[in-house]
Amino acid sequence: MMTTILAVAQQASPLETIQKTFGLNGPLFIAQVINFFLVIFVLKKFAFGPIQAMLEQRRSRIAEGEAKLKRIEQQLADSETTTAAAIAKANEDAARLVNEAKVSAAALSEQKAQEAIASAQQILANAETAAQAERAAIKAELKQEFGRLVAATTSQVTGKILSSDDQARINQEALATVER
Amino acid sequence: MIRCSHLPTLFALVLGAIPAYAAEGGHHALPLDAPRLSDSLPINNSMIMVWLAVAVLVLFARIATKKMTIVPQGLQNFAEWAVESLYDFLSGLMGSHLATRTFWFFGSIFFFILTNNYMGLIPGVGTLGWNTIDSHGHSGFLPWMRGANADINMTAAMAFSFATLWFYWAISENGIKGFLAHIFAPKGSFKGVMLLVMIPVFFFVGALEVISILIRPVALTFRLLGNIYGGEQTLESLMALVPQKLAFLPALPFYFMELLVGFVQALVFTLLCAIFLKLICDHGDHAEDGHH
Repeated sequence: MMTTILAVAQQASPLETIQKTFGLNGPLFIAQVINFFLVIFVLKKFAFGPIQAMLEQRRSRIAEGEAKLKRIEQQLADSETTTAAAIAKANEDAARLVNEAKVSAAALSEQKAQEAIASAQQILANAETAAQAERAAIKAELKQEFGRLVAATTSQVTGKILSSDDQARINQEALATVER
Repeated sequence: MIRCSHLPTLFALVLGAIPAYAAEGGHHALPLDAPRLSDSLPINNSMIMVWLAVAVLVLFARIATKKMTIVPQGLQNFAEWAVESLYDFLSGLMGSHLATRTFWFFGSIFFFILTNNYMGLIPGVGTLGWNTIDSHGHSGFLPWMRGANADINMTAAMAFSFATLWFYWAISENGIKGFLAHIFAPKGSFKGVMLLVMIPVFFFVGALEVISILIRPVALTFRLLGNIYGGEQTLESLMALVPQKLAFLPALPFYFMELLVGFVQALVFTLLCAIFLKLICDHGDHAEDGHH
């Protein structure tokens, strides 16, 4: 066989030598090329396709999960910020309301005190007026009684029956004396 | 000095010598050419192995992906681990853009070569067959099946298919102008006289690069073929050293080595293809690296 190869190598061109020695054959080579591409097509379609699709699906799921996680973290951070702001605003509102209530209560208290003072003053004034009226009435009654007693006394002392004019004059004189 | 035109002859002599010596050693050597199964159709016994390998891969994938769950278990877990590991490996090498774009090819070629390499090691593949006597009275041996990667037509088909796709990917990624500039244009920031000096230098380097590009598929073809055919032939020769009942014994340690070689060769073929593509699509700005 070695002798045959040497003989072939000496007689034929290098390409022919390769063809004869290694069995390189044009139609078989072309058939194998076609075969090879068919093999690749079949492997891609039936072997790698489903596996790659699953890997891709998993990759996209992981990417989606990571994106969701980031979104959730962002939402959580936003939520914490919003909550903190809401709490701060509520505290501020509560403080403002308390202050307003305090101010309002003080004003109301002042108003009520003033009203009470006014009412008390009114009561005092009324009482004074009533007392004055009563004193005046008593005074008038006393004057009238005093006049009647003076007139009666004068009538008994003098023994004369006093006329209305006399009684009125004596009363006035007696009252003027008393009031002095 | 050896002229370039003699290199193929040298290849032929070196690789052809192994089976030739084996045959002269008194046992049947594996033929380098895969026997044709039909005179009219271009079908040989390595094609049968190709489709058996595809059937194995598809069957495995179908079983693994029969009940797909988001949390993988069992075979699905293994299949996803294997595919994802290779994808991550290629992604680290070429960048995620190129890896995503070309994974259909690199993923297929890696698992396809790996499966074929291991199927070529199944007892009976390449060893069960029939003895023949040609018209000159020479006796020979034709195996019923043979490892697909021990057939040069298969390895050449893969290598040249990649070479074609390499041109397509390289031009679609760089544009024709960018593609040619990538090969011939001066690299670096030269100005004035230095630029004029560097233009012919880089043009010469570009010419060497073109030769390198043209040789790549040939190198890929013979590297895979040589390793796989050499491995099969080694096992065959070792088995012929002892009586038939003990034939498995000397070959047994080498089976483990061939398992490693099968994996390494699948990885090397895929890795080299990926690197060749990365080299032509590398813009040198490493912009994409920043994203990882």
